[in-house]
Amino acid sequence: MIEKIVDPKELRHWDGRIELYWVYTSGAAGDAFFKKLKEEGKFIAAKCKKCGKVYFPPRIYCEFDFSETEFVEISGEGKVIAFTVAKLDVYENPMDPEIYAVIELDGTDGRIIHLLGEVKPEDIYIGMRVKPVLKKKEEREGRISDILYYKPV
Amino acid sequence: MSVGKKDITCPTSALGTPLKDEDIKKGRVTYVEDHPDIRYSWTAGQAISRFLNELKRGRIIGVKCNECGRIMVPPRLYCELCYKPINEWVYLKDTGTVQTFSISYIDPDARPLPEPIIVAVIAIDGASPNMGIMHILGEVKPEDVYIGMKVKAVWKPENEREGAITDIKYWKPIEG
Amino acid sequence: MEVEKIKGLKFHKKQDVAIVGAGMTTWKRRLNETGKELSYLAIKQALEEAGISFDEIEMVVMGSAPDTFDGLHMKGEYLLDGSGGSDRPYMRVFVGGGTGVFAPIAGYWHVASGLADVCLVVCEEKMSSSHPHPQSAFKYIWDPILERPLNPNLIWIFALEMRRYMHVHNIKHEDIALVSVKNKANALDHPCAQVAEKITVEDVLNSEPMALPVRRLDVSPPSDGAAALIMVAPHIARRLTDNPVWVTGVGWALDTTMWMNRDLYFPRYVAEAAKMAYRMAHITDPRKEIDVAEPYDPFDYKELHHMEGLGLAKKGEAPILTREGVTARDGDLPVCPSGGLLGVGNPIAATMGVKACEIYWQLAYRAGKRQVAKEVTTGVCQAWGDLMQVGTVMVMSNKR
Repeated sequence: MIEKIVDPKELRHWDGRIELYWVYTSGAAGDAFFKKLKEEGKFIAAKCKKCGKVYFPPRIYCEFDFSETEFVEISGEGKVIAFTVAKLDVYENPMDPEIYAVIELDGTDGRIIHLLGEVKPEDIYIGMRVKPVLKKKEEREGRISDILYYKPV
Repeated sequence: MSVGKKDITCPTSALGTPLKDEDIKKGRVTYVEDHPDIRYSWTAGQAISRFLNELKRGRIIGVKCNECGRIMVPPRLYCELCYKPINEWVYLKDTGTVQTFSISYIDPDARPLPEPIIVAVIAIDGASPNMGIMHILGEVKPEDVYIGMKVKAVWKPENEREGAITDIKYWKPIEG
Repeated sequence: MEVEKIKGLKFHKKQDVAIVGAGMTTWKRRLNETGKELSYLAIKQALEEAGISFDEIEMVVMGSAPDTFDGLHMKGEYLLDGSGGSDRPYMRVFVGGGTGVFAPIAGYWHVASGLADVCLVVCEEKMSSSHPHPQSAFKYIWDPILERPLNPNLIWIFALEMRRYMHVHNIKHEDIALVSVKNKANALDHPCAQVAEKITVEDVLNSEPMALPVRRLDVSPPSDGAAALIMVAPHIARRLTDNPVWVTGVGWALDTTMWMNRDLYFPRYVAEAAKMAYRMAHITDPRKEIDVAEPYDPFDYKELHHMEGLGLAKKGEAPILTREGVTARDGDLPVCPSGGLLGVGNPIAATMGVKACEIYWQLAYRAGKRQVAKEVTTGVCQAWGDLMQVGTVMVMSNKR
């Protein structure tokens, strides 16, 4: 076997970066959802025509029967089933606490993950009812950030 | 569906909604744009570390497999055909023969280049037949390049070399 | 040095494998649907043709090329719910462009081993998400230390291989351009085609130079799309149809990434994969025994290169067959009757739709206007990928 290099100054490495960026279209179901949210401030879910399961976020297919779905309007309100308080940012530097929650939406078998606002962490409990606070219509862009946060009812 | 019969034409339909670039730019469909910051540090490994260090000294080095006798470049720790460790380094010349070439008018992002680049696979003298590396040709007009042309490496001056494949600026034809 | 790479193969299998349905979405430069939705649409079409219901599917194989195109880490897991993977064994396979035929090969393993009687194979690709251009994602196929500092473009490898092929056999670009003319014209009969058009050899030779000798009309475009196949065991096939199409041989082989250490004029990796598939299918003279072929044609010279690798033509002879019309739809050995990648589009893994699915439709006599003129019994499809490394081959027959 050829003799191995052991001096770290002789061992080489090469630096580089991935210089791509991506544009993700929302898809057929996603587009319907975000356009309704942007134009009318309303939420939609998708109901399977065969088994009746209501999907949120909406999809054009039922994942278990593979049959078509139809869009149904929902209130967008729900209840908190899990939450966490983040105190460090992505680079592990301290930041103002942000509260993330998993919210089960009324009238669906699905959930949304979003921020909680206008509430103190010690006042949150599992089962707490919440409703969405949207951006003003002129500021909405057709993205999940059109919902600013969820606040207690 | 008429399974088992031959009288249907497939595919039965062409589903899907085509979009044009301006549909996205004008916001006719919703989308999210993401510009990630992904950085890497790749280790060269034992064999290529030595290769790069030798390039800094102005030399090309290869390896020899004692089992099958091949002299290989770029160097590697094991022969991939015999699957045995390599035992010998071999210094190679900095001349070679063009095995194949192309004249490129586009950059890595498919945009047009101001001047075309001539890229070639060059079999290095001193290595086994067909042992090539990919590099750029220079000081030659595109129409004068041919397969079998003999070329020599043009190095950067010693103080500018950093131990990279670009320490060789390009390969130029040998006169005569 | 010749190395006999594929040796000692044993072909024990529990049961034969038949294909009973296939489907594909339209292929275009940009589609609005997400990858999950595209997979769903292709699978629906395949299930309808086969005449089986969704809950009869036992296992799923998904084929999709680099995560870099969609910008989604762990793409196989992301696509799962739209690919029918919920609640059943699901796996993702990926060998670059070879996935188009490798995914059906993986589906074959599932059924031939007896682990499943019904296996769904689906391939999806969404290249339009990648910016500034899908080709930019290919920057990262090159070695970061020895090749990327030279700013290479993917087209360079093909240009270098094409030049070598033309040099060794003394082939003119005019003869290679005939393939592009043939395939783009064939694709006019394909409902999902992206770049079907009637062109001439002069159009190809005068098109924009990319990396000479490759010009714009020699190349297939990036596409979004999906395709699906249903593979079943013999007793299920008997229940569904009188004319299933049987998978008689599979083969796959890879070569090293040290592509500049190889002589590029002959695709040895395709020949090795074909040797394996032909041995399984008991084919000794491919030129005579194969009735229709779909070799991978991302570039026009690639169809010729692969025809020789598959043994359908002697080395250097493939351009002559094209010039004499042998490879046209009404010829003795039709090649790429679907229009191939040059005519229909190139969504990397989803190219299964014009390779494996097309040979299935030809052998089932369901290709409509694309149906070849002669009677067909045996067909071969082949895919290729990575840094000129992988060859994947599948032989099918409509007689058992």
